[in-house]
Amino acid sequence: MRGYVTKRLVIALVTLVGMSMVIFSLMRLAPGNIVDIIFESAGYVDQADKRLLERELGVDRPIPVQYARWVGELLHGDLGKSYRYDMRAWAIIKPRLPVTLELAGLALLFSILLGVPAGVISAARQNRPIDYVLRVLSLAGLSMPSFWLGMVIILLFVRSLGWMPSVTYVSPFDDLRANLWQFVVPALAVGYRSSALIMRITRSAMLEVMREDYIRTARAKGQRGTLVVWRHALKNASLPVITLIGIEFAFLIGGLVVTETVFNLPGVARYLVDAIQFRDYPVVQNLVMFIAIVVVLANLAVDLLYAWVDPRIKYGRA
Amino acid sequence: MSLGRSVRLAPVAVLLVALLSMPVTAQTPKSGGVLTIHPLSAPPSLSPHEESTIATVQPASACYNNLIYFEPGKKQESESTIIPELAERWSWQDGHRNLVFLLRRDVKWHDGKPFTAQDVKYTFDAVRGAPDATAKLRVNPRKLWYENVEHIEAPDPHTVVFRLKRPQPSLLLMLASGYSPVYPAHVPLAELKTKCVGTGPYKLKDYRPGEFVEFVRNPDYFVKGRPYLDGIKWIIIKDRSTQIAALQAGQLDVAGSGWNRANAETAKKGKPELVVQESDSNVNVNVLVNFKKAPLTDARVRRAVNLALDRKAFKEGPMLGAATFGGAMLPRPAGVWGLPAAEVGKLPGMGDPAKQKAEARKLLADAGFTAANPLKLTVSTRAVAIYVDPASWMVDQLRQIGIDAVLEQIETGVWHPKMTRLDFQVALNLTGIGIDDPDANFFENFKCGSQRNFSGYCSEEIDRLMIQQSQTLDRAARVKLVNDIDRRLQQEGARPVLGWQKQWAVHWAHVKAYPQHENSIYNVTRFQDVWLDK
Repeated sequence: MRGYVTKRLVIALVTLVGMSMVIFSLMRLAPGNIVDIIFESAGYVDQADKRLLERELGVDRPIPVQYARWVGELLHGDLGKSYRYDMRAWAIIKPRLPVTLELAGLALLFSILLGVPAGVISAARQNRPIDYVLRVLSLAGLSMPSFWLGMVIILLFVRSLGWMPSVTYVSPFDDLRANLWQFVVPALAVGYRSSALIMRITRSAMLEVMREDYIRTARAKGQRGTLVVWRHALKNASLPVITLIGIEFAFLIGGLVVTETVFNLPGVARYLVDAIQFRDYPVVQNLVMFIAIVVVLANLAVDLLYAWVDPRIKYGRA
Repeated sequence: MSLGRSVRLAPVAVLLVALLSMPVTAQTPKSGGVLTIHPLSAPPSLSPHEESTIATVQPASACYNNLIYFEPGKKQESESTIIPELAERWSWQDGHRNLVFLLRRDVKWHDGKPFTAQDVKYTFDAVRGAPDATAKLRVNPRKLWYENVEHIEAPDPHTVVFRLKRPQPSLLLMLASGYSPVYPAHVPLAELKTKCVGTGPYKLKDYRPGEFVEFVRNPDYFVKGRPYLDGIKWIIIKDRSTQIAALQAGQLDVAGSGWNRANAETAKKGKPELVVQESDSNVNVNVLVNFKKAPLTDARVRRAVNLALDRKAFKEGPMLGAATFGGAMLPRPAGVWGLPAAEVGKLPGMGDPAKQKAEARKLLADAGFTAANPLKLTVSTRAVAIYVDPASWMVDQLRQIGIDAVLEQIETGVWHPKMTRLDFQVALNLTGIGIDDPDANFFENFKCGSQRNFSGYCSEEIDRLMIQQSQTLDRAARVKLVNDIDRRLQQEGARPVLGWQKQWAVHWAHVKAYPQHENSIYNVTRFQDVWLDK
């Protein structure tokens, strides 16, 4: 097991190095740079001042030198300086991380709490009215973009209650109740879409497992139906579901741009789009690296979970 | 009751009834409360001298003072509505070659240090890029405004003298703009991008880039009894629908920056008790026809493009009926310098659309473009809804005269560099002018070689007239010169204006004395007189 984890960590490291090169190169390939944007949007360009700023930001150096500088700083825990705001990048990124992590975490929680039971019930009651209802609901969840659903919920709240979640971020350490009110609605909107996906995968995995001999044997031995479904079938059907949950979490970290915008949550994803528009290289590079790290770690966690869920899976053996 | 007594009491009763039935026009302002409002977009910094966006000026104005400012309560900004701020009084001397300010003695910076004439000299030496300036702005968008300032002197701590190369009455208006606050000489300029040390009615409490800017009342403000508010919170909300919902839910007291008429009507429909303030603004939608790119080097082609764009259809279409027509200067009565209304009706694009389009087709044919050999044009615009909507309309109008037009949406990060380099054929642009003044507009947008002259238009004759109007002291004579220039610019299609935008401020009835100027959006957000009737 330890050998497997070490091997995976090494692969993860290589992946991240590759990712860093891709992120760095893609940003430089995009037309326009921050110095042009700062000066030319102001409408007055003093060429000497412009060169001075290019030197100050280090964007006048060869690309490999810029890359080496970034990686070097990263290894020393220095995320550099936001070109746009002239502040340390970490000072901008740090307050945004908990927002996105909380939203993604809550959304994932909702999606599991809604999706897994719905999938199990749907499979256990295949082709019965409850199955049809749940399938329609899941299709609706897949069809409705979460930001649209979020906006509809906001409008319903405003119209019927004259209330909407706070448009300024409330930290759970300042006011837990207000924080939960702020996050529950967007998390439900996002979680509903993810739950639809989880429900469909759970259902199809469950249907497959329910046809297995050991399930039939368990039933023949007189075990209660609910026990067979929830203990035996679900456990064996959960591998693809766990995989999906891992992928969804990774997606949620970077894919909440519009939801964060609609609910005015100052998270990572929304800020990333702003930073890309302004070619704020240090912020973009570091945020994308953060998302990449989350994706890699989520995949690793999923792989490790397999062995816990299914003891037949052994790591580190041919 | 005797008749005599009734007669004696009658005038009192009449007076009482009259008093009770009179509308309450002047309430006594109340102190307290925090005003919540949203800016146009996320401010790139809190330093107005280093930015060219209302998104910075809006919040930062509460923190600073100018030497002079436009009176918030007067709708139209002009020389006659300028009020003193850090300067107690001022005077022109030596035939308008010297502008002398006598400063207040009771002003302190937010960090407690005293304000002196050295701060004024320091600020405007930095802005004009003086060789002996003690500080240098990293980006200096308004350097052009102060090109005519030869020297700034601070003979004593409470006197400042601006010495000019030639008379320039507009300097006073530029100094009154929201873009001209006085900075503290003892705080490095770079620090003012993220913190704010001013003399203004509010002190910075917290600033989180892209999230909010929060101010609290400055208890040491030199205007006694002001400000009324305990604070202001500028909340950055990107999504328009969320802005409307937040206003309706009472999370914002005021909204509307960047809104169109439909947004204001939607908000009002949901909450009829909201107050909608509609006004003109000093922002126009204009067409950049690249004078340096063939075939637009041909005057016939440029005029055809100009004639094809039916201004009345523009107003009713993408502007939803909310626009005014005019030339390069904001039209009257909102504007001070605009062309007379009778002339505006005769500008290209204002006539019978069928006739104008027929004339445009003929001009294209004369230039060699026919149905068999159509003119191909790319209409570039910024990939933002308020740009894309009128640009899409423009493409349709051009197609109506046989031009094979396509729309190109440019990402914000590339938009200004592309315009500055004249790397386009035709573009649709929005231009906001800091103050309603010919110097601020003409020199920046139409002078040969100006970096914001995005169409590449250049006329030595117009440049000469610009300088002439700039130093003309007789107001009537100056208006005539400005109108002459504007007329020429419109006829030559230097930067055809499709229309001047309106602006909206939508707020709850408890927000009182909310200022809105009809000829600028940049010079109103000091908010020292705003109060909440809660």
